[in-house]
Amino acid sequence: MSGIFEYNGGSIVGMKGKNCIAMACDRRFGQQMSTITTNYQKVFKIQDNILLALSGLNTDIHTFYALMEKEINLYNLKENRKMKPTTFANLVASALYERRFGPFFVTPIVAGLENGKPILATYDSIGCKSDLDDFQVGGTGGNYIYGACEAFFKPDMNPEELEEVIGQSLVSGCDRDALSGWGGVVYVLTEQKLTVKILKTKQT
Amino acid sequence: MIDFDPSSFGLAHTYQKEDKDEINTLALPSAPQVIYKSLNGPTQINGGNKLNNFKHGTTTLGFVFKEGILLAVDSRASMGSFLSSEQVRKVIEINEYLLGTMAGGAADCQYWLAYLANHCRTYELKNGSKLSVAAASKFLQGILIGYRNSGLSMGCMIAGTDTTGQHLYYIDNDGMRLKGDIFSVGSGSTYAYGVLDNHYKYEMSLNEAVELGIRAIYHATHRDTASGGVVRVYHIHQNGWTKVHDGIDVVDLHYQFAQQKGLVGDGDEAKQRLF
Repeated sequence: MSGIFEYNGGSIVGMKGKNCIAMACDRRFGQQMSTITTNYQKVFKIQDNILLALSGLNTDIHTFYALMEKEINLYNLKENRKMKPTTFANLVASALYERRFGPFFVTPIVAGLENGKPILATYDSIGCKSDLDDFQVGGTGGNYIYGACEAFFKPDMNPEELEEVIGQSLVSGCDRDALSGWGGVVYVLTEQKLTVKILKTKQT
Repeated sequence: MIDFDPSSFGLAHTYQKEDKDEINTLALPSAPQVIYKSLNGPTQINGGNKLNNFKHGTTTLGFVFKEGILLAVDSRASMGSFLSSEQVRKVIEINEYLLGTMAGGAADCQYWLAYLANHCRTYELKNGSKLSVAAASKFLQGILIGYRNSGLSMGCMIAGTDTTGQHLYYIDNDGMRLKGDIFSVGSGSTYAYGVLDNHYKYEMSLNEAVELGIRAIYHATHRDTASGGVVRVYHIHQNGWTKVHDGIDVVDLHYQFAQQKGLVGDGDEAKQRLF
């Protein structure tokens, strides 16, 4: 369990549906093999129509989120308008590349709704953006979640189905990863509302 | 002047010579070939087996009380951060009066405890009486000292009953052998000790002891990532051993214990709403 991305552990997943998007994350904050708390926040609401999920080193999760929060607040004040999800997705990429030779040890996923159209983008830790997939994963349990996603996912699901599928994928994936789990949270964003659900998962 | 022959102290190749004329023998790993002495670090034999760097990812515990010995173990096996199984049997039934617990390398524990079982049965047939717990644990210690520095990974407890009562020993790959009343072995042992030391009394009843064992393992599985799955509980008494619980899911235990305290168990107890 060496490596700076494995120090704290954690998993995130994002999915696109029909005019909706969903994000899910586990809730563990640990230090290598020891679990410290089971209520650590990894998905942040940047704007009413943009969610940012972060996995990796927890200190960088917190710092990078604070940086993005600052950027969007300044943007709102300077331009006097909301930021578009595609613009934010680009902002994340350049913010990461700004630290090319001393990077943030995070793998972000950005999800949003732009004029009703779902946007989902993922990055490596130095800002390579990938926004063409219907679902993306991140974190130590990412590969296990991929398997469950491929099995359960179908395109253009409605919000209720999407919530069910993303929840199941997260839980199945985290059950095979020692460093993720201890609770889960699912966020489903539609044009009208953002619903947040806590999942009852293994606490081991 | 006594002619001191180091090979008589249980180095690996001695065992091969002894077993040459026995028909049904378990194959022994080949003796160490290359001994590497370095100025810094321990002496390594055959490179110290760096390829298979198993860690003691588990929680096992055992304690002596007035009704005998209680053993409780978890059931998770992990390869690094990948959970390979949640259903492993970490208590190995050596024979009807001896149990061994597994921590560290699963293959090492399974193999050498089976080898010990073989030895116990042979002794019983040759000598007409059962091998004592002290002797059985000492035999295992002898083997492990022979393989010292070759990279075996074992932290096991030998618990059993014989004519002198119920006894609990801790044996590990360094050749340590300790007799004791309370042991917990593995990465989750620190959490289990906290619970165990808090509520342990020699005069506990069987029910109290089982409850304590289950609680200690549960707390370890909650905090330690390398422990989890189900709790298995065994009781050793003067007539041998009994399997008290074959597998209680620790997830159910978590929500049960939370409910007993009037909580939900979902991590939001302080109502901080961090999401």
